Amino acid sequence: MSDRMLTMAEAVREAMSIAFDERPEVFLLGEDVGIYGGAFGVSGDMYHRYGAERVLDTPIAELGIVGAAVGAALSGMRPIVEIQFSDFTAQAMDQIANQAAKIHFMLGGALHVPMVLRTPQGSGTGAAAQHSQNLEPWFASVPGLKVVVPSNPADAKGLLLSAIDDPNPVIFLEHKLLYKIPGRDPVPEGATRIPLGVSKVVREGKDLTIVATGIMVNKSWEVAEKLAAEGITITLIDPRTISPLDMGPVFESVEKTGRLMVVQEGPAHAGFINEVIAQMAGSSSFGSLIAPIKRLAGMNIPIPYAPQLEKAAVPQIDDIEAAAREIVKNWR
Amino acid sequence: MGHPLSSPEHARHALLYMWRIRKFEEAVEDLFGRGMMHGTMHLSIGQEASPTGMCMAMTLQDQITSTHRGHGHCIAKGADLTRMIAELLGKKIGYCGGRGGSMHIADVETGNLGANGVVGGGIPIAAGAALASKMMKRGTVAVSFFGDGAMNEGAFHEAANLAAIWQLPMILFCENNKYGMSSSTEKAFAIDNLADRGKGYGIPGVNVDGNDVVAVYEVAQAAVDRAKAGDGPTLIIAETYRWKGHSRSDKNLYRTKEEIEEWRIKDPIPKFIARVIEEGILTQEQCDEIQNEAIEAIKAAVNEAVKAESAEPSGLLDAVFKAVSA
Amino acid sequence: MSFKYPVVMPKMSMTMETGELINFHVAVGDQVKSGDVLFEVMTDKIDMEVEAPADGVIESLVANPGDVVEIGKPVLIMLTETEVMAFDFGTDDEPVAAVEVAPAPVAPPIATPVAPVAPVILNETIKAVPKARVEAANRGIDLRTVRATGPDRTITMEDVNGAQLDPAIAKRQAANKALIAKGIEMTRGIAQASFTRSVSANFDHATFIAAWAKVLRNRPDLAAHEHIGVALIIESKYGSALPVFRDPDQLKIADLAALVASTTDAAKNGKVPVAMLSGATTTVFDLTTYSMSSATPLLFPNQVTSVTIGYESATTKIVSLTIDLNFCDFYDGALLLDALVASL
Repeated sequence: MSDRMLTMAEAVREAMSIAFDERPEVFLLGEDVGIYGGAFGVSGDMYHRYGAERVLDTPIAELGIVGAAVGAALSGMRPIVEIQFSDFTAQAMDQIANQAAKIHFMLGGALHVPMVLRTPQGSGTGAAAQHSQNLEPWFASVPGLKVVVPSNPADAKGLLLSAIDDPNPVIFLEHKLLYKIPGRDPVPEGATRIPLGVSKVVREGKDLTIVATGIMVNKSWEVAEKLAAEGITITLIDPRTISPLDMGPVFESVEKTGRLMVVQEGPAHAGFINEVIAQMAGSSSFGSLIAPIKRLAGMNIPIPYAPQLEKAAVPQIDDIEAAAREIVKNWR
Repeated sequence: MGHPLSSPEHARHALLYMWRIRKFEEAVEDLFGRGMMHGTMHLSIGQEASPTGMCMAMTLQDQITSTHRGHGHCIAKGADLTRMIAELLGKKIGYCGGRGGSMHIADVETGNLGANGVVGGGIPIAAGAALASKMMKRGTVAVSFFGDGAMNEGAFHEAANLAAIWQLPMILFCENNKYGMSSSTEKAFAIDNLADRGKGYGIPGVNVDGNDVVAVYEVAQAAVDRAKAGDGPTLIIAETYRWKGHSRSDKNLYRTKEEIEEWRIKDPIPKFIARVIEEGILTQEQCDEIQNEAIEAIKAAVNEAVKAESAEPSGLLDAVFKAVSA
Repeated sequence: MSFKYPVVMPKMSMTMETGELINFHVAVGDQVKSGDVLFEVMTDKIDMEVEAPADGVIESLVANPGDVVEIGKPVLIMLTETEVMAFDFGTDDEPVAAVEVAPAPVAPPIATPVAPVAPVILNETIKAVPKARVEAANRGIDLRTVRATGPDRTITMEDVNGAQLDPAIAKRQAANKALIAKGIEMTRGIAQASFTRSVSANFDHATFIAAWAKVLRNRPDLAAHEHIGVALIIESKYGSALPVFRDPDQLKIADLAALVASTTDAAKNGKVPVAMLSGATTTVFDLTTYSMSSATPLLFPNQVTSVTIGYESATTKIVSLTIDLNFCDFYDGALLLDALVASL
């Protein structure tokens, strides 16, 4: 990639390298992250640049390696643990949800867990049901975990640097489809952090507010571009950190547009994006709504294999466009 | 610390700490029976020699992870008795501010990374602590205390393997009290000698009488020396027995009175007292005095803790995350 | 040495509060060893044998078989050879302080509003978007009378914005406007003068009208009435309401504040107590909520003075006074305003 139009894999690697250089206690462990360069090429040449002492290849033992990361974090290190597919965090759930998330609270603040767990999520690669899940609600629903979902390489870099700085366990969910493509914007040089817990207003409009996570931010952006040419303008909000969630810009925007649509990849039932709806429904901004809240999310099915089935299972650009048009036309 | 028989001071330390654990657990049993403690308690009466012996081979900087039956480990590693009772009573000055309870007590100053309510939860964590020690070249060792029940958890397997392949300065200390709640080791294992599992990972597996504090110390010190020399982890299987049920809700349906009686006879404390008197290291009077010292220490801790302020709900939301410094 | 140790009903599960004593395994005088069974107890979930905590002798039996005993209370007493770890703190039941119930505030008499003309009901059950409901409530629109054109027969903003006002409310608004216009017409020919001062103080309505009444009471020579009645202008959905507070400087400030608050609430809903609709000798109009000020307050019929409170900045306000020159000359008017400002 030319100049600073890095892919997400490159941006994440750059952030990790900066963190490695800044602090000797940062290290990476995971399956195939070392010599192989990472299953999705994210760690790349880090093994050769930093050596086996800081880039640790592990056996296939998610529970053990996440537990080891917790123990190392309790003892003064700052581990980045890569789980090869977010689906496999299931193997490590005791250490993620029962240990890492709860240690600071349960122990009355005596210890904390400065650990980042990075993992690819999402569908679209034909990897089928057990390698394609979006598990945002699993992590967002556990008090004690911070959960970050970058939608583009520039954000990924700044957010990951903040996640590594954070003294708490952070789950960093990268979308597989974004690894090999650049974003709309160049990735800044240097070590500038993007703070966790701050939503981003990606573009502003007056007719509709869309709140979307991860890859759905980019699909929604395409829709906003297209409709702007027809005079329908959309405010697009990317929470970036889904837990803790910054709803301020959402309330502000809905008070101006009166229409809210939420878009996520994961299955609709009990999904993360319902949190946005729940907070809106109970807020003082509720009275600004001139239309029902529209939710676009994945079907309540495991992700199927065949490409046309896989596409049908999650919202696509056409779905988002149709929903946006409908809400603006029918609710005035 | 050093070998329990190497001097009167060492013998005193071993006996005092075993009594401290015993009397502490008896006090907890009493307070719980009066309805003063919430939840449930997992007592380790009868198992005092194992943590005492192991911790005498460790320094303050060495680390431990513990289990749901962890009061003995905490005390042996040097925890403050008042803060422990206070935690069980839900007081502000408790180790966790009343937020963790019996199964989550940690004490950073004495290297205690925490008791754990999940069977096997602490084993990978101890491996991680050992990893950090190795990476930072601290020269410390991490001991994971766990029971026979944990040896069938995936976490044990994964952690033991990591410790072995990375030659971590770690000790896997199994207090084999023959039962994982109600499942006996005879039914839960297809092998007779649990130490044989070490071979599966390429780790030395060592058996020891967990009720003999001297024997435990000797095996523990050897394992610590191995670890600190960079030779990797050791699996220690300490045979012991718990007198009381799994927890205060246990009806002892799964074992016989004869079995329980047989083990009372193997009480680690009178065993050690007999030995130190026979070898002329301590007198009976000194032993009695040590017992009283322990009793008084527990009484003082309970009396202080009972008077302390109760934990309050304000501040709970702020306690979830450690604040990010600007 | 022996220690007296009460063996209590133990707590055997997280929710247990009492247990039933089934039977004793020992009698008074029996020697027991640590671990011997002393008695059996039962709760709805568990039955258990309670063991001797130490070697000793049974001194006395406290409870009887069949008794239901609270956890922590003794079942038998034994004398032990070694000290048992036992802690009896008893229960500390502090008497709960009686909670005083504050006397219910006396509600001022409420005037019933004019009965509205029956509107045309289009929908008995209403579906409306949230903002439409808010808008309808603000404007006094009965949503049952609004035609729903949105999906699923939902009332949209468009529907509400195009809706007709409830005719009854429109009638009252028109009546209010006419009344005020007539009053202003009546005062148009009167010779009057206006004065203005800036004030940096913070005050609420009660404080202000009490202060103003006090100032007026000190100048009976400038009054046209025996009493002092301060009318306070309050905006309601029916237009301006003018409740009158009689002799407010003679009430305790806390009572006046409560009265002002409850009257303000009532007035906003179009319900001013009938008793407060007459007797105004002066009027106060607070424009600060609109971030405005007026240097020339309007005189109301039969009133000698009229005051506005205006907004100047976040920390200062403008107080303006108009006087009827038939009753009060320039100099006295200026003195009145000075006195008011000084007292705030």
